[in-house]
Amino acid sequence: MKKTLTMLTIAALLPAGAALADDDDCSVPRTQWQPREAALQVAQDNGWTVRNFEVDDGCFEIKGRDADGREIEVKLDPATMQVVEMEYEDDDDDDDDYGTAVGNPAPAGTVAPPQNGLFGTGTPPKVKVN
Amino acid sequence: MKSLLSTLVLTTALTMPGLAMARQVTLTTNLTSYGGDGAYLALYVTDASDTYVGTLWMAGGKSKYYNHLTGWYRATGGDTAQVNGITGASVGAGRSLEITLDLADALFDAGYTLHIDASVEDMRDSPNEVSVPLTSGGRGTLVKGRRYIADFSYDM
Repeated sequence: MKKTLTMLTIAALLPAGAALADDDDCSVPRTQWQPREAALQVAQDNGWTVRNFEVDDGCFEIKGRDADGREIEVKLDPATMQVVEMEYEDDDDDDDDYGTAVGNPAPAGTVAPPQNGLFGTGTPPKVKVN
Repeated sequence: MKSLLSTLVLTTALTMPGLAMARQVTLTTNLTSYGGDGAYLALYVTDASDTYVGTLWMAGGKSKYYNHLTGWYRATGGDTAQVNGITGASVGAGRSLEITLDLADALFDAGYTLHIDASVEDMRDSPNEVSVPLTSGGRGTLVKGRRYIADFSYDM
């Protein structure tokens, strides 16, 4: 019964994923958390292969592949096992930037540094990683 | 000796503003071997009243992760125009990021503070890991970080 409920909840939530995307943290007290096995059960029910399981921003986070073999990252509410966020890792247009990959800043050297009063000249910074 | 030098630098800067408007500053950030993906780092400056002034460098190119640099994000609202032209790759664990840039002289000994927010995928966010006043006398001083940054120093 619980399983059916969980499945139903997920089915209901998946299309609404985009609307929930900006609220991808969980804030349920630990005392109300279900065991990680519950999350792994959700994964199994959905046909996901789990590569990595951890707690992130208070949510259960599963990384792995979906039934079609696409790389996924899914956040679950640790109490209700509802999907809080689902991302395809091969998709840059994920929910976090609301469907636009546009918005990444221009790399150094392609445009002048911003005129924020900090830079003495328009010379681009030189960077070395050792 | 150092203070004499600083005084000299200061007085020179004051008496000859036309000649000393900018100086080349090297910012060195050494990361710890925290055992994770490359770190996103935001190096930014606040003034004496703790108000955001601007960003000096953003290590990490994808803006969708910038909300994990919480101090920077709160100050800028995630505005990528703040880091156009001063963005590069994220920095791997155990590596050292060395940025050389021309900074306005007015930034030093005037109450400005440099902050570094750090973030690593799947690991805890670490805003304001380093917070160091920009002074002529502070050059070369190692400032320790907390989580991902072993130490930071600036030199000119």
